Amino acid sequence: MSHDIPLNWFLYFAAASFSIGLIGVLVRRNAIAVLMAIEIMLNAANINFVAFWRYGETPPGASPLSGVMVAVFVITVAAAEVAVGIGLILLCYRRWHAADVDRYDSLSG
Amino acid sequence: MTYLFVFISVLGLLAALGTVLARNLVHAGLFLVAFFFTVACQFVLLEAEFLAAVQVLVYIGAVAILLMFAIMLTRNVQGDMTTTTSRTWLLPALVGGLGLFFVLMFGINDQVGLKGRMTWASASTRPEIPRAGEGKPVTPRSAAINDMGRMVGREMVTRFVVPFEVAGLLLTAALVGAVVVAYREGDDAESPRRGIQPTRLHGAVTVQATNGHADGSDLPSTASVTS
Repeated sequence: MSHDIPLNWFLYFAAASFSIGLIGVLVRRNAIAVLMAIEIMLNAANINFVAFWRYGETPPGASPLSGVMVAVFVITVAAAEVAVGIGLILLCYRRWHAADVDRYDSLSG
Repeated sequence: MTYLFVFISVLGLLAALGTVLARNLVHAGLFLVAFFFTVACQFVLLEAEFLAAVQVLVYIGAVAILLMFAIMLTRNVQGDMTTTTSRTWLLPALVGGLGLFFVLMFGINDQVGLKGRMTWASASTRPEIPRAGEGKPVTPRSAAINDMGRMVGREMVTRFVVPFEVAGLLLTAALVGAVVVAYREGDDAESPRRGIQPTRLHGAVTVQATNGHADGSDLPSTASVTS
């Protein structure tokens, strides 16, 4: 069996992916690229959930699948978020004729 | 197994970097598909195969395709102008991202742990999963791991029934909300054309708009002349 991967390695991978996603959210100017970077961050959080579920002990009364269930719900929320986000981006593109977040400046005084 | 993990992780981090740094948005989307696939491989390494299947189905099959459609719908004529990274945000983003990374590294390495539990740094072995034929007692966790699809369904209608209902409500609201938001605002019977044309012909926005105005202004005038 595969008992020789330390828990820390999964956490390192998740932390690195989350940081890359954060840099992407801050650096990119295209709204769809920002949405992609948000997806990277959500996936990194999911890896953390599943890794802690697999390496931790389950208390007697708790669910034996807690981390997996949380990850399933995170995937659900991410799918809904992408649907609404792309609808908003298309609406803004129709109004400003650009998918650039710097151009969406109607609220800047 | 560790070599496999290192290989998958390096591929995943390279794909994430490619998603962030690629100038062409379609290339960024393909890098994102690669990243999703490496995350599915990580789930397999963590013995959550059902979650890996869900990851491939939902993320690669739905989310990535939806992003691709959005890229195709919002591509404009000047092309690479909008996909560049902003220079003024580069330094704050690097400071923020690397700072968060080092803070997380510090936290992961120096975590103390609750009383009576092992620290994260010393957790190098997983709890055992006894197989069926080994004679060990079958714990709920091993039953859950060996039969994860059925157990996820059972958990969803027993212990997690309220989050399940809330997720269904959220998906319904997101569906209705996406349709309402993306619906064209020119839903009056008078001007169904004017909203479509600037989107379809991205380059000739002003030309199409003036044409629409000319058509709209011509029709009443001819009507008034004939009457």
